[in-house]
Amino acid sequence: MKRWPYARIILYIFLLFFAIISIFPFYWMLNVSLLPLKAVYADPPQFIAKNPTLHNYAEIFLKYDFLRFTANSLFIATTAGLGQLFTCSLAGFAFARMRFKGKEFLFGLILATIMIPVEVVIIPEFLLMGKLGWIDTYLPMIIPSFLIGTTGVFLMRSFYENIPRELEEAAVMDGAKPFMIYWHIFLPLSRASLSALFIISFLINWNAFLRPLVYLNTKKLYTLTLGLVSFVGEFSALWNYLLAGAVISVIPIFIVYLIVQRQFIEGITSTGVKG
Amino acid sequence: MKYKWFVPYLFILLAMIGLFVFRVGPLLFAGSMSFTDWSTFGSPTWVGLENYTEFLKDSTFWKVVGQTLLFSLIFVPTIVFISLILAVLLNKGIRGTTVFRAIYFAPVITSTIAVGIVWRWIFGADIGLLNYLLRSIGIADPPSWLSDRRLSLMVVAFVFAWKRIGYYMIIYLAGLQDIPRTLYEAARIDGAGPFSLFRKITVPLVTPTMFFIMIMALVDSFKNFDIIYAMTRGGPGRASTTLSYYIYLHAFELFQMGQAATLSMVLLIIVGTVSVVNFYYRSRWVHTQG
Repeated sequence: MKRWPYARIILYIFLLFFAIISIFPFYWMLNVSLLPLKAVYADPPQFIAKNPTLHNYAEIFLKYDFLRFTANSLFIATTAGLGQLFTCSLAGFAFARMRFKGKEFLFGLILATIMIPVEVVIIPEFLLMGKLGWIDTYLPMIIPSFLIGTTGVFLMRSFYENIPRELEEAAVMDGAKPFMIYWHIFLPLSRASLSALFIISFLINWNAFLRPLVYLNTKKLYTLTLGLVSFVGEFSALWNYLLAGAVISVIPIFIVYLIVQRQFIEGITSTGVKG
Repeated sequence: MKYKWFVPYLFILLAMIGLFVFRVGPLLFAGSMSFTDWSTFGSPTWVGLENYTEFLKDSTFWKVVGQTLLFSLIFVPTIVFISLILAVLLNKGIRGTTVFRAIYFAPVITSTIAVGIVWRWIFGADIGLLNYLLRSIGIADPPSWLSDRRLSLMVVAFVFAWKRIGYYMIIYLAGLQDIPRTLYEAARIDGAGPFSLFRKITVPLVTPTMFFIMIMALVDSFKNFDIIYAMTRGGPGRASTTLSYYIYLHAFELFQMGQAATLSMVLLIIVGTVSVVNFYYRSRWVHTQG
């Protein structure tokens, strides 16, 4: 069968069309973040910033605490992510390689809770955090993510299940204890899975919004997402500042994404996690 | 590997503390809270099924449930079809596939709040970019999108779909790559055109993936709190309020913890039903495969 000569061109037009829709909002974010306030409301709008300035960034960083917000988000996402690595690899190891009573039940329970939205548990969680005296601290954002990576346990278990027995047996012959086997053999082997897991959980916590919204009152503790939203409330007309803030919340993720794109995509889709 | 009976439990200890203290515990607690009248600042009183019966009689509740389902009704088909189209186009193995894939995936990894804010600008009634374009092509009176009570929910659902399409596209791509190339070659030799290849081979063989994506997207569609908060805060009025936003509203703005817990049970029942359907379908599917 002969191929229609224009098929390829039409295909590219389609792809390009969707590509523009996918990235235009990011382009617009960046564009507006470089405009002085007067140009923001110009008619016609400036599709390409005429006199780009970094003034907006200097302002939001220094005057509106965004430096602090960024640091807060970074701290929360990093600690929660590191916690996940530890908790999930330990549990994943046990579920994949050890035999114990209630194993199937407990793993089933983990799977069953994967789909439950945060909104369902946030109310009792809020009361619990109140009892613990953790309201208005970083702890409610860090501790739950530190401890429960339902998808992380799932990911690590699947990886550890596929590691050949021989590797483990050699160590057993040398008299190694389970923790040593986990630490010296399994953990180093799973570097790729661990980095995927870290990326996922960093991303979730960096982008998280409901928990910071509910738990944080003191402005100094705000995360970037919460800072953005509160900025909308207070200075709704300063779109150039606001979008500079939005760029800051997006750019670090994009940079890492461009470097380790494959792990990003595979990591996120393999676990069914919401980004 | 030799170990004492309690060693595995030490390995899973942290994860189990997390599971029971921050997941299962709160879930059960939310269940019992839903039978109480509990203001944030007061103590709970047992009211039995009253919260449930009150909501069943409440027209706002039904409106919110309806809007939740309408949101899904827009979100899910958009996801199921557009991400399929993108995946099929990318599966042709043409030059630039990786670049396009990376671009389509970009919205997935970004903060919902940040993109919600930009889209709010784009859909703004007066200074909005979209309305500027509409006016410049001669539409004098374009809709006010997010402040229009008939449109706001739809706009938000589309934006959320925009954000999630790349994710489902990747899942489709994995499904498409499992279809043997030889099938296409054989059909082509028999004279099948690109359209009938798509209809007779791609669609039937990608159906299991499609069903999976439908379920995933359905569950996904209920997790719309962030995007609604960023774009409309449930407004105008209650026009774009869905269950997850309504839960927040009751708990943290109206301070009615008991009622909020009742609403979260309703959401749990909906998500739970979807998951159970998914579970049965998948086990049936695996069975026919074996």
